[in-house]
Amino acid sequence: MSNEQQQTPFERRAGELLRDSADSLDAATRSRLTQARHAALDGVSSRPAWLDFRVLAPGGAVAAAAVVAVLMWTGPMQRPAGETGAFDDIELLADADAYEISQETDLDFIEWAAAMGEQDVAGT
Amino acid sequence: MSFCPATYASVTLPTVEPTAHALNTFLASVERRAYRMAQIALRHEEDALDAVQDAMLQLARRYARRPSEEWRPIFYRILQNRIRDLQRRRAVRSRVLAFLPWGGEGEDDSDPVERAPDPAPGPAAEVEGGEIGVALQRAVSLLPARQREAFLLRNLEGLDVAETAAAMGCSEGSVKTHYSRAVHALREQLGEFMS
Repeated sequence: MSNEQQQTPFERRAGELLRDSADSLDAATRSRLTQARHAALDGVSSRPAWLDFRVLAPGGAVAAAAVVAVLMWTGPMQRPAGETGAFDDIELLADADAYEISQETDLDFIEWAAAMGEQDVAGT
Repeated sequence: MSFCPATYASVTLPTVEPTAHALNTFLASVERRAYRMAQIALRHEEDALDAVQDAMLQLARRYARRPSEEWRPIFYRILQNRIRDLQRRRAVRSRVLAFLPWGGEGEDDSDPVERAPDPAPGPAAEVEGGEIGVALQRAVSLLPARQREAFLLRNLEGLDVAETAAAMGCSEGSVKTHYSRAVHALREQLGEFMS
């Protein structure tokens, strides 16, 4: 005790007797305390319980199943006409012809081709 | 984009987790005194072991990541709560039994173990038999709960007033009062044998 100097002889003697009784536990009790300690320490993991794979795996499986179910329920995505999306951009970038056109320096030809296209549309 | 090591160096890494080894060392250092404390309070060896084991489990599962210097008052707070729970269960059990035809004879909320007649021969006889330690434990077990807690936490475990207050969930002033009354009561019973 930090203030042991302030204790009376009675208190000091009482403390000695109590600590002696704790130190002189029988072997069976000491063994059971050791088992209890080991059982308690088994519950200590190196990471939070919610990060445990055994905890995350079922949750992940349920989430994946839910995503699949939603996709199957709603069917293929329909995009409104005229709206472009990310997939269109990817196709454009992946298309070798489109790349060549984008690098074309003959802008007069491109403008002429566009005008001809518009005339065809107007004519129909 | 240029790689900037300083950016990564400034990222705070998770705090070093307390190792099971440190917790094992702590629990090994307190388990015998904790058991004796529970055994004196409950006067039942199996219940005392249960209380200590529960306190160990709670500390390991909930508070292992707290700074190790906090473990001792937290552990004893858990242990005291567990002891009180067990005493309450005994009281409830005795109340339920009192309603049954074969149950107890009257309603009494106190711990039936505490109400049981004490077969001990008394301090004088125990001291004559060299059992002053047994007489002391018996006298401590008969103290009011809060006085017993304060006396054991300070005298058996060696907690200071602040740590005892944290473990008991009360003010330091209350600890001093309970402890003083406990010492006074024990000295009246055993003072002449322990001088």
